[in-house]
Amino acid sequence: METSDSECFESADEEIYTEKENKKSKKVASSPPPKDDLSKEVEDITNLKITESNDEQPVDLNNEPHEPAKATKIKPSKIGVKTNKSDNRTNSHSTMIDNKHIDTINVTENLEDHKDTPNEEVNMWDEDEDWEPIETKPEPPPPVSTNKSWGWDLSAVINAATVGVTTVTSHVSQGLSTVLETGIGAPDPAELARQHTQETETHNADDDSTQSTTNLFGFGNLVSGVTQITKLVETTGNKVILGGLDTLESIGKKTMQVLQEGDPGFKKKRALLNIEGEKPVLSQILREAKEKAEFENRLLEEQHFARKANYESLFDDHQGLMHLEALEMLSRQCSIKLERLTESRFGSELVELQETMNQIVELCELIEDEDELEDTSEIKEKLDSAVSEMVINISYDKLLTTRKEAEHWLDNINLQICSELELHEQAIDTLAQLTALAVERYHKIGELLLIKEHRSTADEADSLVQLTMILITLTGNMATKFSNKLSEKLSSSAHKDHINTLITNVYFESANSSSYLKNAFQLLIPVLQVGAI
Amino acid sequence: MSYAYLFKYIIIGDTGVGKSCLLLQFTDKRFQPVHDLTIGVEFGARMITIDGKQIKLQIWDTAGQEAFRSITRSYYRGAAGALLVYDITRRETFNHLTTWLEDARQHSNSNMVIMLIGNKSDLESRREVKKEEGEAFAREHGLVFMETSAKTAANVEEAFINTAREIYEKIQEGVFDINNEANGIKIGPQHSPTNPSLPGTGGQGGSQGGGCC
Repeated sequence: METSDSECFESADEEIYTEKENKKSKKVASSPPPKDDLSKEVEDITNLKITESNDEQPVDLNNEPHEPAKATKIKPSKIGVKTNKSDNRTNSHSTMIDNKHIDTINVTENLEDHKDTPNEEVNMWDEDEDWEPIETKPEPPPPVSTNKSWGWDLSAVINAATVGVTTVTSHVSQGLSTVLETGIGAPDPAELARQHTQETETHNADDDSTQSTTNLFGFGNLVSGVTQITKLVETTGNKVILGGLDTLESIGKKTMQVLQEGDPGFKKKRALLNIEGEKPVLSQILREAKEKAEFENRLLEEQHFARKANYESLFDDHQGLMHLEALEMLSRQCSIKLERLTESRFGSELVELQETMNQIVELCELIEDEDELEDTSEIKEKLDSAVSEMVINISYDKLLTTRKEAEHWLDNINLQICSELELHEQAIDTLAQLTALAVERYHKIGELLLIKEHRSTADEADSLVQLTMILITLTGNMATKFSNKLSEKLSSSAHKDHINTLITNVYFESANSSSYLKNAFQLLIPVLQVGAI
Repeated sequence: MSYAYLFKYIIIGDTGVGKSCLLLQFTDKRFQPVHDLTIGVEFGARMITIDGKQIKLQIWDTAGQEAFRSITRSYYRGAAGALLVYDITRRETFNHLTTWLEDARQHSNSNMVIMLIGNKSDLESRREVKKEEGEAFAREHGLVFMETSAKTAANVEEAFINTAREIYEKIQEGVFDINNEANGIKIGPQHSPTNPSLPGTGGQGGSQGGGCC
């Protein structure tokens, strides 16, 4: 960017510029600019920000020794000043157009800086060649009131200025396009420049709309001067616009060229921007919509069955979660009690207390026991004997009934009619229900132990260990029975994989059941501990 | 069943005032004249609709016996609503209300909605506690009051649903922080849970078999 900036300034002069251009184009021809440069170039073009660069005076305009005839004798710096008379519109236009290049921006800014100070300009007009319009910080008095007797001079100046501005404009346009072309390697900027100049010169100021301010002038020549100023402003505006439009056009063309370089038809870039794939194909859309609908239907169906066979929700349905939650609360309450007790004890008392508590934890260790529990009466007997040690009024009748019902169901199903999904559903439901009932019993045991008058912690612990092992075996056996039934279906079914998945799931939930039971038992340990202290 | 909110209720009050019967009437719409003594806590659940939203009421029916007092206290925590029940035919159950109220206030969160219920309103001939007395007590302690009959089901629905409505309003007002489960409110599951360990059941043989029992 910076290099091209300086180039631009110099290139304002046609000759210097041509030199530069030659140099540049040679460079370009010998070694095509790397990709970075290209993109940078494009970026420059599209960059619409005006950088405030007041320091950079259009001093370079002074270096116009070989100015063609049309430039007359007015010094470029003065031209700069005169153009200051242009109104905001001109400025805004030129700004719009010239954003693309710092070179023109400088001119525009000069215009902006001095648009309100014709008085100073005029005064300095004859005196100072080195006058730099930008440096002056103008107070903004209306041009009319301060314009003394300089009217005649003004008009002359304006005439000259008109030509000057034209020149500047054309130069600017040239400079722009040239810089573009040189930067990108475009052909024949000189001719383009000439074209611009011709075009801009043929445009005369034909808009005679005068400003109301002219009425304030006492002197005719002053009036005509001001009118001319207005005209000048219009003309300059037109010229700037036209030149700018041409420039824009060439910028656009150039941009396309650069973009297409080594990428005919923008194939790569389109791919990069993902434009290619957006072309809608109706059949494809329809196919996708159909697939999506099918997928959603399948998902719904799966969810329906999944919910029916979801262990957690079934466990909740059988109030297992609520009892587990209540048991947790009970357990927490006991733990808080124990903590307070521990905090209040010191020394040997504390050690003793902790030993007791650890002993209870040891007593509650489960022994893995692979007992086969086949007969309902045998199970009942075992359960009753286990519970009896706790000396509380609790019965497992409901759980045993549920188990019996499930067995009955299994014995009477017709595998020809019962689908594997129904079988699986029943299996999960039975497991969830048995576990929920067992957890409920743990919860009740906890409550009953807490209100018991005389506690015998060792017996209670032993009882609970036995109980837990029976319950784990019981649910495990139930799972096995259901799995066996599912396996029977394997030989007759076409969906072997599916059935195997279901069998796996039954065993999975059986393991889930036993962990619920173990967890419930663990929650009772603080209840036992509280009883021992 | 999916729901927007789950409210935890507790039912408290002296033994024999009809707590379990109220619950049974509300959940099962039936009356059981002879009821086992409640051990610790029993549960009930029902779905209701408030403001077009499905709300699951999870009701903890506590034991009224003095022996369970210390246990039931540990269940107060995390309740959004409480039904404080007395028997209009037994004055002592009304006299104990203050103790129950203190217990409830002490062991639950301060925003808990408490509904005072004078039960057994069907036994008008045996009434010992006037309705005005109940109203006055409720007014004095900032409770909602209602006389119900678990036997005839009079006002039973209203008692549970009005409490829920009041909790719901508190949620709308932002009094309850629904994200804090200690307030006794849970936000329902967005969708029915799927079983991750049960893949690919769709499509095949899902609709065959018309029942196997």
